Amino acid sequence: MAKHHVTTTVNGNGVEFLCETQQTLLEVLRDELHLTGTKEGCGTGDCGACSITIDGRLVCSCLMLGVEAQGKSIQTIEGMATGEKLHPLQRKFLEHAALQCGVCTPGFLMAAQSLLERNPDPTEEEVRFWLAGNLCRCTGYNKIIDAVLDAAREIRGN
Amino acid sequence: MAAAPARVVLIGGLGSYYTGGVSEFEIEAKTLHDVIRGLDERCPGLGEYLVEEESTVAIDGEIHQIGYHHPVRPGCEIFFIPSIEGG
Amino acid sequence: MGDNAIMREQKLFKVVGTRPVRPDGTPKVTGLAQFGADFALPGMLWGDILRSPHAHARIRSINTAKARALPGVKAVITSADFPEQKFEYVGPERVAVNYWHMTRNVMAREKVLYEGHAVAAVAAVSKAVAAEALRLIEVDYEVLPHVIDVDEAMRPDAPLLFENMITRGIEPAPTKPSNISKRIELKLGDIEAGFAAADEIVELNFKTAPVHQGYIEPHACLARFETGGQGEIWASSQGHFVVRAYTAKLLNMNIGDVLVHPAEIGGGFGGKTVIYVEPVAAALSRKTGHPVKIMMSREDVFKATGPTSGASMTVKIGVKKDGRIVAADGLFKYQAGAFPGSPVMNGVMCGFAPYNIPNVRSVGYDVVCNRPKSAAYRAPGSPISAFAVESVMDAVAARIGMDPLKFRLMNAAKVGTPTTWGPKHAYDSYAYTVQALLDHPAYSAKLGKNQGRGVASGFWFNNGGESSATVHINEDGTVVIATGSMDIGGSRASMAIMAAETLGIDYTSVRSIVADTGSIGYTHVTGGSRVTYATGTAVVEACKKVIGELCARAAMIWDVDKGDVIWEDGCAMPAGKISGKFEPLSLKAIAAKRAVTGGPIGAEASVNAGGFAPGFASELCEVEVDPETGAVKILRFIVAQDVGRAIHPSYVEGQMQGGAVQGIGWALNEEYIYGPDGKLQNAGFLDYRIPVASDLPMIEALMVEVPNPNHPFGAKGVGEVNIVPAMAAVANAINHAIGRRLTELPMSPPKILDALNSPRRG
Repeated sequence: MAKHHVTTTVNGNGVEFLCETQQTLLEVLRDELHLTGTKEGCGTGDCGACSITIDGRLVCSCLMLGVEAQGKSIQTIEGMATGEKLHPLQRKFLEHAALQCGVCTPGFLMAAQSLLERNPDPTEEEVRFWLAGNLCRCTGYNKIIDAVLDAAREIRGN
Repeated sequence: MAAAPARVVLIGGLGSYYTGGVSEFEIEAKTLHDVIRGLDERCPGLGEYLVEEESTVAIDGEIHQIGYHHPVRPGCEIFFIPSIEGG
Repeated sequence: MGDNAIMREQKLFKVVGTRPVRPDGTPKVTGLAQFGADFALPGMLWGDILRSPHAHARIRSINTAKARALPGVKAVITSADFPEQKFEYVGPERVAVNYWHMTRNVMAREKVLYEGHAVAAVAAVSKAVAAEALRLIEVDYEVLPHVIDVDEAMRPDAPLLFENMITRGIEPAPTKPSNISKRIELKLGDIEAGFAAADEIVELNFKTAPVHQGYIEPHACLARFETGGQGEIWASSQGHFVVRAYTAKLLNMNIGDVLVHPAEIGGGFGGKTVIYVEPVAAALSRKTGHPVKIMMSREDVFKATGPTSGASMTVKIGVKKDGRIVAADGLFKYQAGAFPGSPVMNGVMCGFAPYNIPNVRSVGYDVVCNRPKSAAYRAPGSPISAFAVESVMDAVAARIGMDPLKFRLMNAAKVGTPTTWGPKHAYDSYAYTVQALLDHPAYSAKLGKNQGRGVASGFWFNNGGESSATVHINEDGTVVIATGSMDIGGSRASMAIMAAETLGIDYTSVRSIVADTGSIGYTHVTGGSRVTYATGTAVVEACKKVIGELCARAAMIWDVDKGDVIWEDGCAMPAGKISGKFEPLSLKAIAAKRAVTGGPIGAEASVNAGGFAPGFASELCEVEVDPETGAVKILRFIVAQDVGRAIHPSYVEGQMQGGAVQGIGWALNEEYIYGPDGKLQNAGFLDYRIPVASDLPMIEALMVEVPNPNHPFGAKGVGEVNIVPAMAAVANAINHAIGRRLTELPMSPPKILDALNSPRRG
């Protein structure tokens, strides 16, 4: 079975790849494009570790096929920082010790970034519900929430 | 005048293959190595077994991994425990 | 016990106790950090594992011919490719390592003992070809009756997993085989006399379901071996030295012929102190001469890696009217899973440990059954027995009309209190954790309708053991610390802090790395709450050695007696008869002269750390129960834990919060649900429901610092004890809210509704 040729944009860069029909976008990102920052935690869209944005929309990349990336604009964790400058969310996660093992962190950062783009001044409850699709087993979520709220404050400028 | 021997207890059936069920001993010792030798004298093979087991040992309540060098004071209480593994 | 100079100085620490950013942080927030599944090598093959669809079956034959013939398949292996191991218990008996069992868990031989048990593996050029190859392997099974529940597995007519299993720990030994691998009994005093003297007695039965550690990263590794020869493994695990030792043993290789690189690890909690995929990947790589990568699916993680035990327990406590506990008796039956080795001994030892009880008996049973072999899960065994003991403690306090915290304080273990297992407690710290809750304003705050408050306590041994560390002074005066401890929760930060504090230098000039098995001395697992304690001790020892070396170099530079050189504030200073005669020499200055004074400057230390102080925690939980749905909302959760000294307070808080939330999940939602066919019905995160952010409030972490005199900075293990009281705290809160005590975990909505519909009990 011949592979599919896909042309897409990843983190602002034009990208082409070959993939099999059944390969998920997550597998393509990790195994074909070697962008291993996006993680597989469950493969069934329940843990959020594979979160990316596609045309600005937060999705679980394990629930999409590689071929569906054709012509779209994808952002992964590798595209969050701007050159040397970390995104405020990335800095705040570090300052607040919002990661212990760090495997869920890329997914949380993508999800939190997506939240703050839509709602720059969320309440604690809004943050918790938005992030309910991202599982963390290490932190109990405390410091993640602290970090997101603090980053939101900094981005707003107050 | 000999110093008071240490009270040595093997708990949870540790080493019962070598002791035939006895779990308490009195051994004169200055270090844990002396204790292990003492146990070997009374029940051949027991000392080596405890060392290979990497037993945990409580000396007067302080918990340690088994090691020859630990000092033993007269009359102290020593408990050999199957090694603790955490998660 | 070693040089305690740093503790005795009593001055405020400069770096210990601060909250700097961890040195390995940026790669983790930018996606650069490489976890077990993130490695790839040219020519790499994909490995995949065929697993049993049956809970219990004899393997009559395995035919791999079709799979081997599939284009793209480079190797197919079964247990025939692993050497047989001798049946004997070696090493720690409590979590008995018996390689005869271990090799069978990694790859089944005569029988499959649980749904998901590995029976064969393939290496192929792509994931798709590997999956197709698995479908072509023909296994002829003779399905056998299975048993999973611990009480059922103990029945005399239960299907047997091992036809020759005779219970150890019973004299005389039983004549008939059973599924009971071991019985243990610990006793103190005379429980019959104790109960006879009691004014009130409460006895309750409890049942808990198996729960999984739930790490977000599935097991994964990459193995690259020469055909039939030496090789390397990149693996995420809680102990790469253990991975090396077990893999070598299972493949009959010399330990030194296996090199393990520590990948970053995405959670473990004890579940990654054992091996599953590494020997399989290594065997496939040795057979093909190519690198082989294996990554478990989430479904396989649930079906084939060790959850902790489900248990059946009875706890009885007798007390005087004035609140003194006079007797306690506990029966703890734990599921071991397919092979012996549940943490029942820990449970038996920890359950009553916070208390001063003159007459105690604890009996434990380790029972095999047709589900995956249990693996360690955060203070293994202790949370389970604590659920039972702390629930009964709560019921007893209510029976005599005493405040539950004051009841615990009255009976608190102190220095000199005997434990059930013999040694006397050497530490007073338990009472402080109870007092911290008593002093908290939340304890007396008003509660609303359908709301309740519960408290519970717990104990965990913590651990020490073997650790190695090196310190090297770079040419520019910066420092690299290397240890053999996988960093699962930020330990590189605390190692750097301890090094910076010992050397008297800036935290930012210390790099902290984890070295592979070829580059550093043996280091035991990252688990058991041992790293900050034992590996920290090794780091400090290594730094002290290097300070000695630095002073010697300074003496050479100044041409003076080494005895006149001291180390202060990160510099060599002239002292004694040459005091003030020379300008202090910084690390940078000494490093610049290293070649002429003898060469590179560094030191190594290896320790077998003892004197690890145990940990206590007391927790307070407030809930609101919805009487219509049975849903329980956690309104407040406070963890009070004696932490020794918080080297990096943020990461200590993180452990307390993380452990509490795992306990909340264990209490309210998590369980393995098996069908009548012995197959797991909820092998995914949708139906195996761990807590999510919207389920929880902020978890308050009260760090009670009672410094451990055996550690240079007073540290002790903090990672585990925080999970121990959690389930009972939640159960006690629910009982307070609805006047019904639930004795089965999880306390999920259907169970709460059932309880609400049944008459009120005491």
